Amino acid sequence: MNRDEILLSVQDLSASFFTEDGVIRAVQNVSFSVSKGRTFALVGESGCGKSTIALSILRLVQQPQGKIVSGEIVFEGQNLLRLREKQMRQIRGNKIAMIFAEPMTSLNPVYTVGDQIAEAIKIHQKKNTNQASRKAGAQAWEDAVELLRTVGIANPEQRAHEYPHQLSGGMQQRVMIAMAISCEPKLLIADEPTTALDVTTGAAILDLLDELQKQNGMSILLITHDLAVVAERADDVAVMYASQIVEMADSQQLFAAPFHPYTRGLLRCLPRSSISNPRSRRLQTIPGAVPQPPPFPSGCKFHPRCRIGCNDNRCQTVEPELRQVQPGRYVACWHAPA
Amino acid sequence: MRKQAEEKTNWGASYGELIWRQFSKSWLNIGCLIFVVFLFLVAIFAPFLANDKPFVIRIEGKLYFPLFKNLQPVDYGILLAAIGGLSQLLLIRNERRNRLTKDGSVNGYGCATRLGISCAIIFAGTALVFVLIPRRLDATDYKIMVASGKATTAIFAPVPYGKTRTNLVARQQPPSGQHWLGTDDVGCDVLCRLIHGSRVSLSVGFVAVGISSIIGIVIGAILGYFGGKVDFIGMRVVEAVMAIPVFFLIITAVAFFPRSLLNMAIIIGITSWTGNARFIRAEFLKLRRQDFVQAAVSLGLPLRSILFRHMLPNAIAPVLVNATFGISGAIFIEAALSFLGFGVAPPTPSWGQMLSLGVSTTGRFLWWLTLFPGLAIFLTVLAYNLLGDGLRDALDPRLSKAI
Repeated sequence: MNRDEILLSVQDLSASFFTEDGVIRAVQNVSFSVSKGRTFALVGESGCGKSTIALSILRLVQQPQGKIVSGEIVFEGQNLLRLREKQMRQIRGNKIAMIFAEPMTSLNPVYTVGDQIAEAIKIHQKKNTNQASRKAGAQAWEDAVELLRTVGIANPEQRAHEYPHQLSGGMQQRVMIAMAISCEPKLLIADEPTTALDVTTGAAILDLLDELQKQNGMSILLITHDLAVVAERADDVAVMYASQIVEMADSQQLFAAPFHPYTRGLLRCLPRSSISNPRSRRLQTIPGAVPQPPPFPSGCKFHPRCRIGCNDNRCQTVEPELRQVQPGRYVACWHAPA
Repeated sequence: MRKQAEEKTNWGASYGELIWRQFSKSWLNIGCLIFVVFLFLVAIFAPFLANDKPFVIRIEGKLYFPLFKNLQPVDYGILLAAIGGLSQLLLIRNERRNRLTKDGSVNGYGCATRLGISCAIIFAGTALVFVLIPRRLDATDYKIMVASGKATTAIFAPVPYGKTRTNLVARQQPPSGQHWLGTDDVGCDVLCRLIHGSRVSLSVGFVAVGISSIIGIVIGAILGYFGGKVDFIGMRVVEAVMAIPVFFLIITAVAFFPRSLLNMAIIIGITSWTGNARFIRAEFLKLRRQDFVQAAVSLGLPLRSILFRHMLPNAIAPVLVNATFGISGAIFIEAALSFLGFGVAPPTPSWGQMLSLGVSTTGRFLWWLTLFPGLAIFLTVLAYNLLGDGLRDALDPRLSKAI
């Protein structure tokens, strides 16, 4: 893995939700880093803490229940968790931008899409140059229209005057992307950007992200549960299970030879065409379900569902740590090939 | 043809248009709206509707304009404000239409600039009136002049009586051709005082609701947005304020401060914001979890913009409804206070105060002094309440579908 230029590095991040039913440890001691100009994918099932990590980076974890308990998030040499709210606002949108899973609800229903993009542009212009004028307003509108054209919306002059509900899901997501890239962020966090879209639209959105990445050289933190998307788009992958990273590697290596039984299970679960692989008629599954905290299983959290782990005493009692087993390959499993 | 073309380019209605479509379905709503607009017009043009000074009068061959000479700067201010407000509305409509049909750049001024300009016009106009028209008391009775033949060709207002001009000869007269709604115990025309009294009622209603809405929105927004401890402590404070019996607080406060319209409106306003705060807080708690609010935060927008530009428009519905009920409530409180003698000082006409004249003094029951102001209060309060109902139905899509 080429890690010479690290843009964002997350160290030992833990975040918990303090609810009436007890403390839910949504993220536990997660460490990873995103290199400049690369796409880092976080993969995992629903509720494994992927989105909490994304929100933690922008310090958007829902207060007061949610709280970042420990860890460091270093972005361009600054620990984001130490910044004041005002400094954080400089980073949000300006340097780190985010797009959300549900484009239908991520746009404000009472403003035209042009207004929303133009506002983002204006505010960051004000921050960067400390001046705002009426001319800047007209300029911002033109920039917004230009951005809509960049993200591939046909007839942007017209569309800018429309309200979010007049656009289709794919177009709404394009608008979200336009808003996110309006200030040319260094890092774009895409939290399941294609989940709410149909497959072809989703592919088009991902193509767009690829293209923008090539143009701007930004890094993308892609959060998804879609392994096909990861295999195609990501440079580096981290697989999450029950609030921890269980395997992290270069994407090609990981898909070529997954080490962690969970990753292997996930890959087996992918539907394959029965013509090319006639033996597997039935779709394979991982037995059991994701553990609902609290409490997590003792030892390795995956052991009740693991073929090796359910018979191994060490797996049931001692929790494996994420360790480097080969250069650039990290696995949290006692039985990983060394 | 043109309309069709317009509809083609404008195939989506804005939020306001949708609400208006829903709202205007009911004739009752439209009727109430017309009545409220009518009241507004009456209040704005009160000095032109009921005045003992004629518009024009010819005295010894020379033309005079006593009505305009005797208008208070406040009257001019109200007129200018009304014109300004109307032009604002037209401008906004026009601009929207332009933006929708012509594509490309935005033209026109920003909302704040426009508001600033119209405010400046109002202030400048009022100041100009102060300077140009020197105030002097004009006690001339033009009607006597006309009757004595000294003056000719006078054009009077439809109700040719002054709001404070007493006429001890015509005291306590029941409705007649001369005084359509009768006179009170100092000989003032009831209709004239009703017309001028509408200003008191409306301004108390709007100022009080304006104050209570602003306080309620700001407090509710902060509580709802931050949640947690801020919310917990804040809501206890709100509940403590709610526990105070407002009417007695107002009576006490009115006793401490000089009796004036503005003071009363302010006192009503700062004691009745709790409902708004609760509504807004509830809406904000709900909105806080919405994706577009998260998106706004993730874009690094300042708190002010998130609270009042992105969240408030989505939470305004219950406040709008509450405001219409609040207006009727404030009108009611004002009438009650004036009836009890705590309201505006007597020469200024007010509906509640007129109501109290009907039962006092000589022991005769002057029904016209009770009926007409009572009817005015009743109809106004009813109209606002029905308006609030209609608005709530229009703003709440679930309710309208269920019916």
